[in-house]
Amino acid sequence: MRRSLILFALVLAGCDRAPEVTFADAAITLPDDPLDLPPGAGREAVIANCTACHSPSMMLQQPRISRETWESIVDKMVTVYKAPVDEAAIPAIIGYLTLMQDQTSAPPDPDHPQG
Amino acid sequence: MADSKQQPGRLTRRAVIAGAGGATLAAPLLAQQLIDLGLPGGPSARPLEPAFPGKGEMIVQRIRAPLLETPMEVFDKGTITPNDRFFVRWHWDMPNRIDAAAHRVAIGGAVRQPVALTLDEVAAAGETIEVVAVNQCAGNGRGLSDPRVTGAQWGNGAMGNARWTGVRLRDVLAKAGVAAGAKRVRFAGLDVPLTDGAPQFIKSLPIDIAMRDNVLVAWGMNGEPLPLLNGYPLRIVVPGWFSTYWVKMLSTIEVLADEDDSFFMAKGYRVPTRPVTPADKDVPTVPVTAMPPRSIITSHADGAVIKRGEPLELRGIAMGGDAALARVDLVGGDLELPCELGPDEGRYGFRRWSVTIPLVADDLIRIGARATNVNGAVQPEMLDWNPGGYARNVIERITLRAQ
Repeated sequence: MRRSLILFALVLAGCDRAPEVTFADAAITLPDDPLDLPPGAGREAVIANCTACHSPSMMLQQPRISRETWESIVDKMVTVYKAPVDEAAIPAIIGYLTLMQDQTSAPPDPDHPQG
Repeated sequence: MADSKQQPGRLTRRAVIAGAGGATLAAPLLAQQLIDLGLPGGPSARPLEPAFPGKGEMIVQRIRAPLLETPMEVFDKGTITPNDRFFVRWHWDMPNRIDAAAHRVAIGGAVRQPVALTLDEVAAAGETIEVVAVNQCAGNGRGLSDPRVTGAQWGNGAMGNARWTGVRLRDVLAKAGVAAGAKRVRFAGLDVPLTDGAPQFIKSLPIDIAMRDNVLVAWGMNGEPLPLLNGYPLRIVVPGWFSTYWVKMLSTIEVLADEDDSFFMAKGYRVPTRPVTPADKDVPTVPVTAMPPRSIITSHADGAVIKRGEPLELRGIAMGGDAALARVDLVGGDLELPCELGPDEGRYGFRRWSVTIPLVADDLIRIGARATNVNGAVQPEMLDWNPGGYARNVIERITLRAQ
């Protein structure tokens, strides 16, 4: 009896360990992603070209940056992240983003030029 | 790596527009509680909501793809961050369901024999290991950069400390056998771009780091399965290194015989090799890797009122980064007081500290806790500014008003 127990232990040691964890199926339901974009010229262009891939907050929470920096960000979305942005809509998108910044962030600080 | 992508449904331009149109029908936002993150120049207010499944009250930076930040008060309650308050960061939409029996971790590239392991096979690949370690986004505190930089505008809550359970990555790699001359080990998860040709979020470790004793393929977080939002069923754990390498929903491991030219290694998540200002252009960069020490005062918020003429106890948390914490000092003005450290729960974890100021005579202007690790790395007085807003570890200062 003792011998067979030892043998059993050796067999176990010779293999991979039995998993100490069990994996179950998992699922969650994510919250709605409402188009929480304040009214303003260009809002529809942003909805048509930007918010299918990410929430509006990603744009609205950015610090105050120059028009040129917004242009480079939209360009990165198109060239790097392959966002299907309508080229004709880009001026309206940039216009909306800069308009929103005027409403949500502090005026530019001349001592700390940004972008 | 492109061939390993799973494609839950790529967006055509038409689908993008249709998707956006459908979203306009979503329920309007309910009245929200807002929190002010104190980001210089703003915008600084964020919703504070328990809106995500399995998560309690979190700072909602972004719903899609989710960016959830841990409120500072959570770090005052203990050194381990509860799973339901642990930060969340996804680059691309991730699947919202996992079929455990169907899930595989494919190991390929510079290996002797490519394999595709079931979850049970991964869990049985070696000894089960536990490690307490801080998981911190490389961009934690980016929103506090001054001058500001673009990107996810985190306060300091894109970090957490957990007890991770898993097997060593090197034991999992042994199932395929790493070929001689391997340079790096790259990871991919189930989060893939919506658009064709966009870079998948894949990250790689140098082979010597990948083979470390404490680098894990983990399934457990604080004694529970990983929450789906934190990478169920498996994620990489690299104690001492930033979270960008802790790839979630692990599905592919690729051993590389060469350097990694993928986007999020070669272009993203990089820091300059020397100090820079916003005016500097074309400075050479290297990937952000190991974490420096950090400390946060958690007992008092900036601007809190304290009692004049009485002793004051301050407390907080600190970490050593990629080496054990050595000491924490309260600094500011003419103050320089050594803090008492709480129990050591593991060199890569948070550690509690506390200190008592014998008598509060006046306002405490811009005081902070300064952590030093056993390698002598110490938090700097001035922000080591970089254009990506990475690896923030300047001394975090607050002002307390005596009354």
